[in-house]
Amino acid sequence: MNLRTHMPAAGMATALAVYATVLASSYDQRLLALSGVYLILVLGYQFIFGHAGALSLAQGAFFGAGAYATGILATRWELGFLATFPLSIAFAALLAAIIAAPVLRLRTHYFALATLALAQLLLLVAVNWEPVTGGANGLSGVPPVSILGWQAPRGLPLVAVIWGIAGIAMLIAHHQMNPQRRAAFSVARETPLAAPAFGIDAGLLRLRAFLLSAAFGGAAGALFVHTNRVVSPETLGFGVMVTCLTMTVVGGRYRIAGALIGALLLTHLPEWLRGLDAYYLVAMGALLLAMVLFAPDGLASFLPARKPLSGTAASPVPIPSPGLFAGPSSSLEATGLHKSFGGIRALDGLDLSFKSGEIVGVIGPNGAGKTTLANALTGIAPADAGVIRLNGNEISGLAPHDIARRGLTRTFQTPQLPAALDIRSIVMTARNHTGAHNAAPDADDAIAFCGLSDEANEASGSLPHGLRRRVEICRAIVSRPSVMVLDEPAAGLTPEEQAEIGALCRALADAGMAVLLIDHNVGFLKPIADRLICMAEGRILADGSPEATLADPSVRAAYFGMDA
Amino acid sequence: MIATQLLVNAAALGAAYALVAIGFVLVLNATTAVNFAHGESVVAGGFAAVALAGFLPPDIAVPGLVLLPGVLVVSALLGLAIGALAYLPIGNRPPVSVFVTTIAVGIVIANGLNAGFGAAPRSAPPLVGTGGFEFLGATASLQSLAIIATATVLIGALAWLLQRTQLGRRFRACAQDPEMARALGIRLTRITLMAFALGTAFAGVAGLLLAHQFFVSASDGGVLVLKAYIAVVIGGWGSLRGAAAGALLIAVFEVGIAAIASQPVAEGALYIAVLLVLFVRPQGLFGEPQQVRA
Repeated sequence: MNLRTHMPAAGMATALAVYATVLASSYDQRLLALSGVYLILVLGYQFIFGHAGALSLAQGAFFGAGAYATGILATRWELGFLATFPLSIAFAALLAAIIAAPVLRLRTHYFALATLALAQLLLLVAVNWEPVTGGANGLSGVPPVSILGWQAPRGLPLVAVIWGIAGIAMLIAHHQMNPQRRAAFSVARETPLAAPAFGIDAGLLRLRAFLLSAAFGGAAGALFVHTNRVVSPETLGFGVMVTCLTMTVVGGRYRIAGALIGALLLTHLPEWLRGLDAYYLVAMGALLLAMVLFAPDGLASFLPARKPLSGTAASPVPIPSPGLFAGPSSSLEATGLHKSFGGIRALDGLDLSFKSGEIVGVIGPNGAGKTTLANALTGIAPADAGVIRLNGNEISGLAPHDIARRGLTRTFQTPQLPAALDIRSIVMTARNHTGAHNAAPDADDAIAFCGLSDEANEASGSLPHGLRRRVEICRAIVSRPSVMVLDEPAAGLTPEEQAEIGALCRALADAGMAVLLIDHNVGFLKPIADRLICMAEGRILADGSPEATLADPSVRAAYFGMDA
Repeated sequence: MIATQLLVNAAALGAAYALVAIGFVLVLNATTAVNFAHGESVVAGGFAAVALAGFLPPDIAVPGLVLLPGVLVVSALLGLAIGALAYLPIGNRPPVSVFVTTIAVGIVIANGLNAGFGAAPRSAPPLVGTGGFEFLGATASLQSLAIIATATVLIGALAWLLQRTQLGRRFRACAQDPEMARALGIRLTRITLMAFALGTAFAGVAGLLLAHQFFVSASDGGVLVLKAYIAVVIGGWGSLRGAAAGALLIAVFEVGIAAIASQPVAEGALYIAVLLVLFVRPQGLFGEPQQVRA
């Protein structure tokens, strides 16, 4: 937090203040007030549409909800701004909270539909519930903003109030979207399947984003009504939603600067393009299309990028702590696991147990149920029946992020890494959930342990496959789990890289972790596994030392196709 | 009597909605993306009919059905443009991008029509003529019967195309597994564009069918795409038959509740119903829960 980082913001604020007070005509001031209103709306939309990556079509509805709340409370109950403003925000957030539980678990196209249906429903209510909402004409005579007896008339005072609140909104957005949460959102958004396996509660993130978007939308709607002094069904119409979407796409989905650019630009554009007349909105649509096609991250992506998430960028390479991993009492015990897909029994009464210091290899032909086993143990695709105990405590039935937080993590067959995010940020997202604890030193420890210190600040997408595999392991161990399940960690690697992964697993087991290693490659497993399990048709065929398992006649028949 | 009459009205509305919903699914299956410009395509079809009707001799009553080929062609070309502008350039980016690009194209179409034709609702000529038949004590308007007949013929033709022709097999192959279809030598881009052309042509014809009785105005697109969307959710994501069934259900629901209560109540009840469906069965009424592979 030094002067340098705040220079652009301070400069921008000064420029705006000078423009508003000295240069702007009263019409310009009205546009400025509107820009501030839309800025708040777009900041809110960035949470759900940008960070959470969900196409909500209810942002206009939250705007309208805030607008009507203010309009009704101010004209019918004659409440002052200090009451109507918080109540309008609360009303929009309450609406979001009511529909959040059922709506947020919906996948993309259903989520868009549900939010659109909600918006249409509110519009219908506003148009038809005439005694309260004033029907198609709406309500007029909304008083100006008044705070403790002081009234903010149109013009400069209103601009000051709106931009003051917009400033607070930007601060809230800035603090809500700290670099660590930003990274967690990015993992949840881009690798939704993997996020929970690293302890990220994607549902909670989405809920937070949705409620924030609604609260910001409600605030914007309330201020809009004080600007226009009337509230009409248009505030709930799809037009507001489209304006908000366009501003967000044009400015940028992720950065506060994007919201500023989008809101200021698109509020003023109609004035600059007045010659287009009736075709102005056609140009707007074309602009929206062109932005998605040619600058999908918005105009803000042309500004200098924020500095990567480091905090300890200059720190010397730390030495891995000897007690990095869990104590000597780790164990995983699964009994009677069943899992069916239609008529196929992927897991058919499987029992399995292993403990700290052990590397247990799992082999088996394609379709033997190996990945199903990994998904069932980690709760990604829970078993239909059976009990799983981690260090003696039952974890079956828990949510995957909860299982991860209790100390059972995993890696995936295909590395699940957001391409644009740097390695340290990715690793830190798997550590964040421990709360106040500072994740950076642990992340650096794990990164050094996996031999990735030189690449820590690079985007994962720029790394070769072998290193991406190691990043996956690094992310799985940063929270110091007791048990780790690796799903084909050596697939597609050179023999040298395989040996490195093997050595890494050995070191983790020696540090006290219990390791389950699923792979096809017997040559990779045999030298490092303490025990080797062969699976076929959802059951365990053999379980013993690698030599014994490989010599087992049924294994030779099932896996190698040899006669006993 | 009244019930029969309502049923005919509902069937006519449902037949037009079915065309919209089927067109929506055709694009959906080819792209796995929602085409938000689909409602505007219906509106554009309606306005195409209005514009083409201007070329008909004013002194003789020419049946509106003669406009059908023209509307089909105009709409198919519009579909090609939507596909080429809003879908093909997106590549591998997340599906949300296609939502936004098609919303953008929808804005362009709606406001282009608004600027060109004005905001006032317009009406296209009746398909065959005005008047109606009396049977079982009820009056069925000629227009309603013509809508039902036209939609039935078009849906039948589509079914024949999909089930009995090589092109139809390619369509279905791409819908089931685009990667595999491409590996087998099917030109995915061509099929995708044809899906846009065909789907938008269906939407456009629905516009022609609806534009006499219900008028057409540039701002109608949003509600129409919402209804197609709802029909597809009710009928099962990606199912053509389901989409048609869902569309009929919506029409019966709308006409029925509007007769008992009022139009706004019917619309509100529809939105509440679909929200309930989504809450209780997020995969749709007949949809299969999807497997995810980690």
